[in-house]
Amino acid sequence: MPLNIIICIKAVVLEAPDGKVIRTSETCALNPFDRPAIEMAIRLRDEAGGTVTAVSMGPESGSLALYEALAMGVDHVVLVSDPSLAGSDTFATSTVLSAAIRKLAPFDLLLFGTRTSDSDTGQVGPQTSVLLDIPLVTGVTAVTRKKANFIVERKIDEFIEEYEVALPGALTIHASALQPRDASLMGLETAYGQEQFTLMTLKDLDILAEQVGDNGSPTKIINMQRIQKKRKCEMIQGSVEEQAEELVRRLKEAGHIG
Amino acid sequence: MSFLTTKHTLVRRSVRAFCERELQPIAKELDIEARFPWDVVEKMGKLGYFGIQVPAALSGAAMDSVSYCIVIEEISRACAGLGLCVTVHNSVGVYPLVAFGTEEQKQKWVPPLAKGERIGAFCLTEPNVGSDASAVESTAIRDGDHYIVNANKVLVTNGAVADTCLMFVKTDPAAGHRGLSVIVAERGMQGFIIGDLEDLSGNRANAVSSIRLTDCRIPVSHLLGKEGMGMKIGLAALDTGRIGIAAQALGIAQAAMEEGIRYAQQRRQFGVPISRHQAVQMMIADMATKVDAARLLVYRAAAQRDSGGPFSKESAMAKLFASEIASEVADMAVQIHGGYGYTKGYPVERYYRDARITRIYEGTAEIHRIVIARSVLEEYK
Repeated sequence: MPLNIIICIKAVVLEAPDGKVIRTSETCALNPFDRPAIEMAIRLRDEAGGTVTAVSMGPESGSLALYEALAMGVDHVVLVSDPSLAGSDTFATSTVLSAAIRKLAPFDLLLFGTRTSDSDTGQVGPQTSVLLDIPLVTGVTAVTRKKANFIVERKIDEFIEEYEVALPGALTIHASALQPRDASLMGLETAYGQEQFTLMTLKDLDILAEQVGDNGSPTKIINMQRIQKKRKCEMIQGSVEEQAEELVRRLKEAGHIG
Repeated sequence: MSFLTTKHTLVRRSVRAFCERELQPIAKELDIEARFPWDVVEKMGKLGYFGIQVPAALSGAAMDSVSYCIVIEEISRACAGLGLCVTVHNSVGVYPLVAFGTEEQKQKWVPPLAKGERIGAFCLTEPNVGSDASAVESTAIRDGDHYIVNANKVLVTNGAVADTCLMFVKTDPAAGHRGLSVIVAERGMQGFIIGDLEDLSGNRANAVSSIRLTDCRIPVSHLLGKEGMGMKIGLAALDTGRIGIAAQALGIAQAAMEEGIRYAQQRRQFGVPISRHQAVQMMIADMATKVDAARLLVYRAAAQRDSGGPFSKESAMAKLFASEIASEVADMAVQIHGGYGYTKGYPVERYYRDARITRIYEGTAEIHRIVIARSVLEEYK
């Protein structure tokens, strides 16, 4: 049975900004935690046939992430972009993504990375699945087919949990699941040659302006400031043995070692 | 930089990530052991690095020249010897086959080369042939539907690993440069002998060696273009090739600059990092300015090639300047490192050796000055 897979990806900011985040192609990149999920999507498609569609919400400057997904081997990319979406928190983002995914339905499998390297909440995958009312397994490390369903594994503490997931279902893929492939030069050239972007704006989605952006966000970032790391260097005196003993004593005292 | 699009940003990021993961960690050991990294080359082949500008129909990535330069620059930033391998293979090894080959020749040779399954080489230099290509002493004498080729080629880049070699030979020894032709010789042919590896000063990951053909019978169908077209093919290949060498020099310079800056920020003298001292800042400013200027010249030459116009002067300027600043920047990076810069414990010592050859191969700095001067004098005639 061919699979229709949708994967949600994000262009993350590469470095912590001072103040307001300015997204350009130079400051953004595909979220590294999305790469293993893209790899999983491509492999499942290559085994079963079907298509992989990558969906991303954000300004057009973040389209670099979508091109990279295309270069890796994704079939279609959809950018959901609208000025009204600025300021969306994870809940508003999940509202938008679930609305876009409804437009792209039917689908069999919805994939996410476990989290993003910039905001690091890990909430969008689970929230979007809940809004779409489909089953979800998080932190998946292996996926195998069992007739119409999937058997998935997730590692938790000292255990491996196994779930059987009915389709359509959602998975967040753990970064350790797979080594993602490098984009080939052929892939990059083809990605930029095809211009096969589908652009969705708010009016393409069946949601209201109040549900997105600042208005639709129950959480708000009030302030953001860089953490000032206060480090000081102290030289421990004495013979090598004395220095080692003193170092161990201090590390114990500070609770860093047992 | 106006020559660059977001595609180029992604190409750089992608190639850099690959090279930092696969090549940079082993570059020192490749240099010490003079080892060609077949495992990395195989991966590069699958990613299209060996057919960067080859048309898609011939299994290439069909990219523009600016992308090409970025790929070479990034490989060379990690390992100059492999950057050399990839650029020589692409520009003077494969490009002449694409540009001058018959449909049959292209189908036969180009796809395996573009996929990195076979390695290409350009065999012009001989013991008595350097800048003067018309002095080639190797010969190909017609015998029915074969040529009997006797050739002694030295200092062949990729020589010891090459499968498909463009041999510059005289099909009409009496006709001077008009008797120069290109014949494709393949490893495994009877009489095809690969000499010992050269014990190089830098670029040691590259398997530079001599190649000798002794009474080697090569079918007439291996002639590229027509008899007597050798000079034309050679010059076209070198015009393209020198942009790649310019990009290689740029990559070495970039690597040297980064190491110089990093060291300057760590090394403390007189109670502060040495980057606080103006004497070191002067060198950092010069390194950054030279690298930027070289990058502009290299990308301009590539963009000029992409535009379809003549680019001989631009590529000569880019190659001349980038190769000279690579030595200067590597020299400054060594100077910043002080005594440690003269040891193999730090990579700047390797960059210093790697940079030097870029002023010699694919046309010496002196030959490039002649090319540039002729072109400029023509403009002001």
